[in-house]
Parts: sequence; structure tokens; C-alpha cells
Amino acid sequence: MTREIVFPFFDWLGHSVVGETIRSSAMLIAITQIIHLLWLTMLAGTVLMVDMALLGFGIRRVPASRIAAELAPWTAGGLVVMLISGPLILSSESRKCYDSSFFWIKMAVLVAAVVFHFTVYRLVTRSEPPVGPVRASLVACVSLALWIGVALAGKMIGIYGDDLRKEGTPAEFVHSGPDAPHGEARKSVIPGAAPLARKL
Amino acid sequence: MRDSLWMFDITETAHTLGIVLVAGTIMLVDLRLLGMGLRREPVSHVVSRIVPWTLSGFGLMFLTGAWLFSAEASKLYRSPAFRIKMVLLSLAGLNALIFHLTVYRRAAEWDDLPVAPPRARIAGLVSLLLWIAIIAAGRSIAYGPGYDQ
Repeated sequence: MTREIVFPFFDWLGHSVVGETIRSSAMLIAITQIIHLLWLTMLAGTVLMVDMALLGFGIRRVPASRIAAELAPWTAGGLVVMLISGPLILSSESRKCYDSSFFWIKMAVLVAAVVFHFTVYRLVTRSEPPVGPVRASLVACVSLALWIGVALAGKMIGIYGDDLRKEGTPAEFVHSGPDAPHGEARKSVIPGAAPLARKL
Repeated sequence: MRDSLWMFDITETAHTLGIVLVAGTIMLVDLRLLGMGLRREPVSHVVSRIVPWTLSGFGLMFLTGAWLFSAEASKLYRSPAFRIKMVLLSLAGLNALIFHLTVYRRAAEWDDLPVAPPRARIAGLVSLLLWIAIIAAGRSIAYGPGYDQ
């Protein structure tokens, strides 16, 4: 895998003060993930409304461009918060993400979604007069597929964990000095532990 | 379902999508009431067009939620986060019910105002905060006793 090129970055991020701090506190791990999820809701909700307007469902009689313009600050806000909380989560579990195929899928789809959003999508939702129904629907479907793809891939990182991890490599960048963070041992620290520990 | 982790994961993912749909759409209505978004659309437009999405999301969330609950009922029964989530969910329902039965009945009087009257704003704010708390509590179940992640 070519991901080895960026290994030093993940190594650095995982051992950074931010990564170590978040990882040492169950509360901080929870807070970063919850903030990420909350703003996903905001981002998804606003994008969905605009997409529905483009598809002709949703708020009818009102041009999609107007809905898009009114919701733009919330969509952008959601994206900004997610692009801050995301890397924070990454710093707290960079080894797991590095070894997760869904993490890389998520990054690829995310880049595609953001590029699409600020190019084609932006043009279509700002177009005066509005584009035809076929083109509008097509753009809405692509937008929906991309954002749902990002969310699903994100969820899969949590579910399938570090599936690319090679035998004998550490599951996590563990700070091993004398002042190593203690507290509750996290499941992925145990070598050979199943990626999914939620067994009943 | 307990025997099939694959099934559990799909259900959990659908549950998350359902919540995103419910909370994402409700938050938009809340923001409209608070005058923080969609200010130029009449409130009744926003509500009548968004509610079908909210309800479908709720149906998905409720069905998958009940299914997930059946798979780990005894564990959830002991989870404080789960109990808090259920209480908050009931409060959100109650808040929506009160809103629809009272202030919203007279929506015609303030439909076009960019900012709704105080009682509707309070309902919007309460709903916004409750849904934030519901998502936080729901996510917290996974950090509680009996879960490793």
C-alpha cells in the first residue's frame, strides 16, 4: 500500500500533544466525537433540504437557489466544525485510521464531495434562471450520494476498525514513557484484539 | 440479531441515518422559529414541507431503535445514558406536541415574520437543545458500562 508515504504524518499526529491529550481522556474522546456527529446532523440536514428542493420535493414554490442561499451559512458552519473536530478525532486514533480501509475511502469521498459542493453544486444552486429539472435532479442525486457516502464510510471506520493492520504491528500509537496516560485501557491497545469488541 | 454482528451494524447505521434525518430537519424548523435561518420562508411552508422527512426519519429511527434495543435490552436497561436519552426523547415529543397544539394553531398570525413570537421561539430553542442532548446521550451509550468503544 502506498499509504506508507504518509505514515510519518500519522505517527507525528498520534504522538502530538493534542492526540495524547484527547486519547488520555475518555471524556475528551466522547466530546470530539459528539461534536463531530452533531454538526454532521446540521450539514446533512441543510444539504438534504437543498437537494430535495432541487429534486422538486421539499419546500416547493420556492426556488432551490433561495433555500441554498438561506442555509449556506449553516452548511458552511457544519463543514468548518467537522473539518476541525475530524482531525482532532484523527489525532486521537490516528493508528486505527491509518490502518482502516474505510478511513481512506472516507477521505477520497470527502474530497470529491467538497470539490463537487463548491463547484458544480454551487453553480447549479446559484443559477439564475434555475437549471432544468433533469440537470437539477442529477446534481442533487450526486450530492446526496457523495455526502451519504462520507457519513457511511465514517460510520464504518468505527465498526470495522483497523482492517489493514498487519500482523505484529501495534494497534495504536501508545505513549510508552514513564508518564504514559493511564485510566481505562482502550480495547485496541490489546494486541490481536478483534476490531469489533461489541460482542454480547 | 445478537448472533449476527453484520446485521447489528447495518441496523445501527440505519439508526444513525434516521437520527440525522430527524434531528437535521427538526433543527431547521427550530432555526426558522428562532429567526436564524430560512427567514424569508413562511413558517408553515417550512413545517409542512419538512415534516414528512422528519416523520420518515422518525419511523426509521424508531423501528431500528426498537430492533437494536431488543438485541441488548438488559445492557441498555442498566445504561444511565440510555435512560437519559429516553427521558429527553419524551420531552422533545412533549415539546413538539405542546407547540403544535398551542402557538402553532395561530401560526397564520405570525407566519411571515422573520422571527417567530416568544413562545414559538422558546419551543424552537428547547427543541434544538433537546435534540443536541439526545444525540449526545445516544452516542454516550457506547462509552458507558458494558461497551468497549
